[in-house]
Amino acid sequence: METKGMTRREFVKAGLLTAAAASLGAGVFKPTGLWAATPTIKGPVKLGYQAIMSGALAGYGEFHKMGVQMAVDEINADKGIAGVKVEVDFRDSTLKADEAIKNARYFVDSWGADFLGGIDSSGQALALAPVMAELDRILMVTHAATEKLTEQQVFKNGIKQVFRISTPTYQDGNAAAFIAKDIPAKTWATISPKYEYGYTCWEMFKQTLGKLKKDVSFTGESWAPFGTTDFRPHINTIMDAAPDGLYSTEWAGELITLVKQANQAGLFQKIKHVMFPVGAAMDVLEGLGQELPENIWISGRYFFLYPADNRNRAWVAAFRSRWNHFPAYVSETGYSTLFALKKAIEAAGSKDTAKVVQALEGMEIDTPAGRRVFRKEDHQAMYDVPWGLTKTDAAFPFKVMGKQVMVRAKECFNRPPFEGAGTKPPF
Amino acid sequence: MLESIVHVCLAGLSIGMFIWLVASGLTLIFGVLKVLNFAHGTFYMLGAYLCYWVLGRMGENFWLGLAIGPLVVCAAGFLIERFFLRHVYHLALPYQLLLTFAFVLIFDDAVKILWGAGSLGSPNVPGLSGSISILGRNFPLYSLFMIAVGPLVALAMWTFLERTWWGRIIRASSSDREMAAALGVRVPALYTAVFVLGTWLGALGGGLAVPYVGLLTPGMGEAIIIDAFVVAVIGGLGSLKGAFFGALIIGLLSSFGTRFLPTFDMFLTFILMAAVLLWRPQGFFGEAK
Repeated sequence: METKGMTRREFVKAGLLTAAAASLGAGVFKPTGLWAATPTIKGPVKLGYQAIMSGALAGYGEFHKMGVQMAVDEINADKGIAGVKVEVDFRDSTLKADEAIKNARYFVDSWGADFLGGIDSSGQALALAPVMAELDRILMVTHAATEKLTEQQVFKNGIKQVFRISTPTYQDGNAAAFIAKDIPAKTWATISPKYEYGYTCWEMFKQTLGKLKKDVSFTGESWAPFGTTDFRPHINTIMDAAPDGLYSTEWAGELITLVKQANQAGLFQKIKHVMFPVGAAMDVLEGLGQELPENIWISGRYFFLYPADNRNRAWVAAFRSRWNHFPAYVSETGYSTLFALKKAIEAAGSKDTAKVVQALEGMEIDTPAGRRVFRKEDHQAMYDVPWGLTKTDAAFPFKVMGKQVMVRAKECFNRPPFEGAGTKPPF
Repeated sequence: MLESIVHVCLAGLSIGMFIWLVASGLTLIFGVLKVLNFAHGTFYMLGAYLCYWVLGRMGENFWLGLAIGPLVVCAAGFLIERFFLRHVYHLALPYQLLLTFAFVLIFDDAVKILWGAGSLGSPNVPGLSGSISILGRNFPLYSLFMIAVGPLVALAMWTFLERTWWGRIIRASSSDREMAAALGVRVPALYTAVFVLGTWLGALGGGLAVPYVGLLTPGMGEAIIIDAFVVAVIGGLGSLKGAFFGALIIGLLSSFGTRFLPTFDMFLTFILMAAVLLWRPQGFFGEAK
């Protein structure tokens, strides 16, 4: 448990310092150096961040934390946010909707959070949106992917307090369909999570691919509940359907298990074209190592080798030297969240929710993942993440993207008003 | 279609045997000590991690890991029974659940500190990592191995409990603690021994799960313990025979459900459990009270 606020020892220390400083005269209190700039807002800026930190997916929480912590330290070592320090408190979201709401209320009501961030589960994000409107604090979603969050809750229901810095299901469904249209496969099947995220991605993939390529059909579905450790019955279902292509939005540990069990069952010999929309996650790449077959299509919400520019390279190097890990995509989205808030707060000259919302809308920011633009209408960050084919690379102890194909966000993200002609790709 | 049914059957059997290995220790402990050990899933997790840890230090030898890892967990089981659980036997069930649940939380965090919060991929077992073709479709050798190990463990336990002097003492203490104590059985020591044996079974299940699931994660015991409880309830709490057949039924139900009734597969197990609780609350092989 992180304990916040002052401990007694700190309190005594602060008291002694104050007394000592007072005895030296008023001049000592004058701020010098980095903190000398007169703050334009009343500090500190407090961010309440929740992610999954227990159970099988606890590793995601750790990776969120690494990115966020790094950003906090960098910002505080520089000039802070508009001259004041930033403070972060972390809580375990547990993936349950009611727990996420409880955390959000604790952050705002008891801890005094100015902003909220995090959230891994689509179900949690949808449940939390109305609460954010009520609490009137900005929530920057860094992982949960359902498009319904931004299309319905933000755009249609007008919940202006919610933003998303990570790629939504458009990357997993629509962009995948653009890749699949050039793959010589006419029949597709899926093994995917038996909840909102899995359903919505497969639906989107089918819709978009159906429009891009007339002669495809979708011949099998097998849905795996959260926490599945044995995919053999699902693999049997797909082997019976015998499709040309397999599309799976299984993620994290369950994707690792699926691939290992599919290897044993010889699935990759029978089905040549395989797509894992979140297969480029670091935990999956590292967890599978050489067991991930070659020539599988993978993507993610950020991939540490893209963009191949100096900014990203420097960030990855700094991340590795600090944490001895390659950055996961949630590390990047968590890290960039802090800098997006910093830029918006400084532009607004205030941490007032309405003003920061206004500053964030349409804001552009350069981040390790490249340039992001927060779309005004639905508060979705537009940025590009490649799809790529797995390949062995002697420089890494795991498979990386070899051949990369870019489907730009502006080509594959649904467009406001999200209903009617010309709102869903292809445009 | 035939090959599909055969493979669905085989997958169901291996799932069932996997649950049985975990449920056996849980059932043994409940049958003798009358304690619902919520921490059993934790022993499973510790078994998996320690097996992994040992084999990483012993030249990737899976069998050595499996032999040593669960023994280390037994030490934890011994300490828990001897210094904690013993003091709540006379209290109401909720106290036992609370105490054992506390150990779940403690060990989950301990695993996170020792091995990290992320998931770890497991190494393959030499000789069992391949698959054989059954009716033109590959079936993993390791799953076949699980299908063989399950009944062997059941047979060993049955022989031990029904055919040995130790087994008689355990059964006697289980059916009448006071009478056994009056006849000179050191019941507290016996309880410790049975708890340690149950711990070993849970940890063994965890060790065997490493290559089967292919993954180690903190909290991995929490999912399996629910299945194990369902199995124990369906079979009859405390009945090893019940746990064995309960596990088989749940394994097959889950495999066939996923393949042929995908919309309802998550409910099937619980519908069965609800039906058993309504019409045969003592379970298939439990004794009516």
